[in-house]
Amino acid sequence: MTTRAASPNPFLEDFAAHAAELPGVGQPWLDARRADAIKLVRAQGIPHRRIEDWKYTDLRSALEGTNDPGKAPSVARLRNAVEQGIEVFEFKGDAPKWVVDGFGVIGIDGTMSAASFALAQSTIALHVPANAKPAKPLEYEFSGQTRLLIVVEAGAAVTLLETPIGGDDSFSNAGIEIVLYEGAKLNHIRTASNAASAIVLEDLTVQVASAAQYRAHFMSTGTKLSRTELHVTLEGKGAEAHVSGVSVLGDGRHADVTTHIVHAAADTRSTQLFKDIAGGHSRGVYQGKITVAEGADGSDSRQTAKGLLLGVHAEIDLKPELEIYADDVKCAHGAAVGDLDVESLFYLGSRGIPEAEARALLMRAFLGDAVDEIENADIRASVWSKVEAALAKATEAKP
Amino acid sequence: MLEIKDLHVSVGGKEILKGLNLSIGAGEVHAIMGPNGSGKSTLSYTLAGRVGYDVTGGSIIYKGEDLTALPTDARAAKGIFLAMQYPVEIPGVTTINFFKTALNSQRRARGESDLDAVSVLRLVRGKAAALKVPEEMLKRALNVGFSGGEKKRLEILQMALFEPSLAILDETDSGLDIDALKLVADGVNALRAPDRAMLVITHYQRLLNYIVPDRVHVLSAGRIIKDGGKELAHELEAKGYEQIIKDAA
Ligand SMILES: Nc1ncnc2c1ncn2[C@@H]1O[C@H](COP(=O)(O)OP(=O)(O)OP(=O)(O)O)[C@@H](O)[C@H]1O
Ligand SMILES: [Mg+2]
Repeated sequence: MTTRAASPNPFLEDFAAHAAELPGVGQPWLDARRADAIKLVRAQGIPHRRIEDWKYTDLRSALEGTNDPGKAPSVARLRNAVEQGIEVFEFKGDAPKWVVDGFGVIGIDGTMSAASFALAQSTIALHVPANAKPAKPLEYEFSGQTRLLIVVEAGAAVTLLETPIGGDDSFSNAGIEIVLYEGAKLNHIRTASNAASAIVLEDLTVQVASAAQYRAHFMSTGTKLSRTELHVTLEGKGAEAHVSGVSVLGDGRHADVTTHIVHAAADTRSTQLFKDIAGGHSRGVYQGKITVAEGADGSDSRQTAKGLLLGVHAEIDLKPELEIYADDVKCAHGAAVGDLDVESLFYLGSRGIPEAEARALLMRAFLGDAVDEIENADIRASVWSKVEAALAKATEAKP
Repeated sequence: MLEIKDLHVSVGGKEILKGLNLSIGAGEVHAIMGPNGSGKSTLSYTLAGRVGYDVTGGSIIYKGEDLTALPTDARAAKGIFLAMQYPVEIPGVTTINFFKTALNSQRRARGESDLDAVSVLRLVRGKAAALKVPEEMLKRALNVGFSGGEKKRLEILQMALFEPSLAILDETDSGLDIDALKLVADGVNALRAPDRAMLVITHYQRLLNYIVPDRVHVLSAGRIIKDGGKELAHELEAKGYEQIIKDAA
């Protein structure tokens, strides 16, 4: 009988097996960045609950006993044709300058972002030329280890719709880098995975130049383990980020949204509005850190996170955090977790509204302002219908 | 219409109503007056079927049916309406949408078809104008940021909309200015009908000048201690509760 020592890190095995087949391999700048990334994966290991940032989301335990993440098919693709001179580079042939300048430059700091960079067999880079304003959203879908770079040139405005498509028991780890030049705007909407038993990780890094704006909405129904990690740097004067999200969790679901917004320049603005509803045995997590760097005077940041628990086995952890190194700064943040309000339930009941309907009404009302942050009416309506379906699931679990 | 016999109600393990008797016939308007904390709101919540208001003895018979086992929404569907002393603010739900949901819930429970948004709006408009509730208010979140008087007017608007068989008004007059008081009283009087009964809870005789009651009851420490005609309200105003309670003992 032969025994094989259990590998402590399946990502390293994966790299060893596939390094030679990765897209764009042989381009020295890319090989070098990948080598650095895998070094980071090796040094940091797989995140687990004793690492402060991953306290509520124990990836190491979740990975034990699941399919080898290296076997997850890597898919990164656009569902629709691009318009208005948008360039798509899929790492066949030499990379153009905008790829070399952007790919793997800002978005590699944690293990998982490094892993997606080093291991993604499917990779896309998108370039939106200056002042382009395509009417149709870019629809991006992914599963497995993937990597996406989006560069939006000055004055352009584009919408990104993003969906994880891995099935049950799948593993996904998406790394996304977004670069917004002067006055550019990206509307980013991420919708949920349908696969209850999947592990879905995402690491987003966004760099926002002066007068540019990043807007994002993360709609999640959770999976066995899911985490969306967002790093935004507002690096030019007047840059803005407006991030919102709802997590509606049924039995057995876990959704973690972790954000870090850095106000690195003067007169920058950020808002965050997150609402979680947790039913059955489920867990919602929001960790939001705001840093106002030295010199970022006149910055304004707001952050609200609220949780609604539907039963005693559900858990919601909200952790807002503020670091301020500048003067004349406005910061407002609040976080609260509660139950459905009994006064409100009685009031609605006394008007003839049956209890189940009254609860649903209050839950929709609770989520309303976060969903309404989505600017595009069609997308907002489609998110609402997903929210409705998730609410039905979340409430069917016995409390 | 309503027959309450030897009603005992506990809230949070504490007995608040201690053997209350009250009988209201169809077409009648009754007033209940009584000192703070005597149990007036407790009675109104109990009639509406609020969870946590435990009926530990006695009975509430409404149109020949014992209410005590019925949930709140079922009572509303059967025509019981409570205008609350403290209407609840519900952020994120617009007033008009709430009206539509409530109306259709009650209609469904009675086996009637749903009204669409346009029909609901048409129905609400006329009644809102009569109560001087501006249409802009209907688009705002239910009761959120409404003034005390606006909230009370909205309660009466709901009463006009739902056309209940038994309307309980818990201190609807408090917080109303003089003009609004008249508007609300007109609204209530317009609903007076042979097949409808009303229970008006108030601290002030003034309201009863506009809504003239058939009977007046004095509630003290969880019991009705005195009954009379509309002149009893005047007597209360003149003598105060303390004297009346002493006289009744
Ligand atoms: N949850 C509770 N637990 C214990 N006592 C309660 C509870 N709710 C109400 N009470 C008590 O019941 C009594 C009756 O209250 P209620 O609100 O019915 O009085 P009321 O007659 O309506 O007074 P007011 O004129 O001030 O409106 C009060 O003494 C009140 O403190
Ligand atoms: Mg009261």
